[in-house]
Amino acid sequence: MAAAALREQLNALLSSMYASGLVDDQFQQLQMLQDDGGTPGFVAEVVTLFCDDADRIISELAALLEQPVVDFDKVDAYVHQLKGSSASVGAQKVKFTCMQFRELCQHKNRDGCIMALTLVRNEFYDLRNKFQTMLQVVPYVLKGPFDFQVFTGIVKMEHMLLKLKRIACPCFLLKFV
Amino acid sequence: MASKNQGPAAPRALVVEDIKVDLVVLLRMLRKLNCEATVAHNGKEAVDLFLEGKTFDIVFFDKDMPVMTGPEAVTKIRGMGASGVKMVGVSADFGGLEAFMQAGADVFVPKPMKLETLDAMLQEVIGKKNMSG
Repeated sequence: MAAAALREQLNALLSSMYASGLVDDQFQQLQMLQDDGGTPGFVAEVVTLFCDDADRIISELAALLEQPVVDFDKVDAYVHQLKGSSASVGAQKVKFTCMQFRELCQHKNRDGCIMALTLVRNEFYDLRNKFQTMLQVVPYVLKGPFDFQVFTGIVKMEHMLLKLKRIACPCFLLKFV
Repeated sequence: MASKNQGPAAPRALVVEDIKVDLVVLLRMLRKLNCEATVAHNGKEAVDLFLEGKTFDIVFFDKDMPVMTGPEAVTKIRGMGASGVKMVGVSADFGGLEAFMQAGADVFVPKPMKLETLDAMLQEVIGKKNMSG
């Protein structure tokens, strides 16, 4: 019964991600690649890789745009990477913002690039939060018996980690923060 | 790095890609289509594989990579006389089409590649393999 409620929650989350344009049909391709092939961790693997990569790129971009003289070629190269990987996972909003970001790079518009970075960061964080929720719910939807205490514990821990931003804790959830 | 193949006429693919996300997705698609896949992380690694005498039926090149780009690798590999292998340029960059075709690629596919597009290309490669015996 609890699993059914979670399944409904998961479906609502995925529907809202598609409806808001956060993800596009490429994300559906990833889901199909997992469903058909019997590779249960595939979407989780790709999403985690993307989030780690995007986090790193956004940090690099922030550092580059803080320089007194901005190397717009380097900025463009990073944005191009982010655009490519966001397209591969179906992160539509992030991809479109990266396209605009690249145009600003080509015009060497520093202020515009800083604004674009803020937008990309916000959109990425929004997407990452939803991916994290999705990945935490999915195992409990797919499993047979549902351990509500374990699930509640994990949700509470997630909220704690998000509040504290980053803590030194040997917890598997850290890879999602 | 090679992943398992299945089937007597399974095509042998080389994936030349430096972005891990893109690599994982393409490898998964190839595995789903029963294609044996080897990985190179930049154009130079791909060229080195050909210099070692490795052969492939189809090669997928990303455009912008460190050390050696996709179009540069295509030019070098074609220059080595590799005419029978299908070379596919793949990029999210619209400028990739011209760069790859000028370098000697057979086809350009925008990223992200659709499974149906990949399947159609592999079917063509399998068809040619079967005809040549």
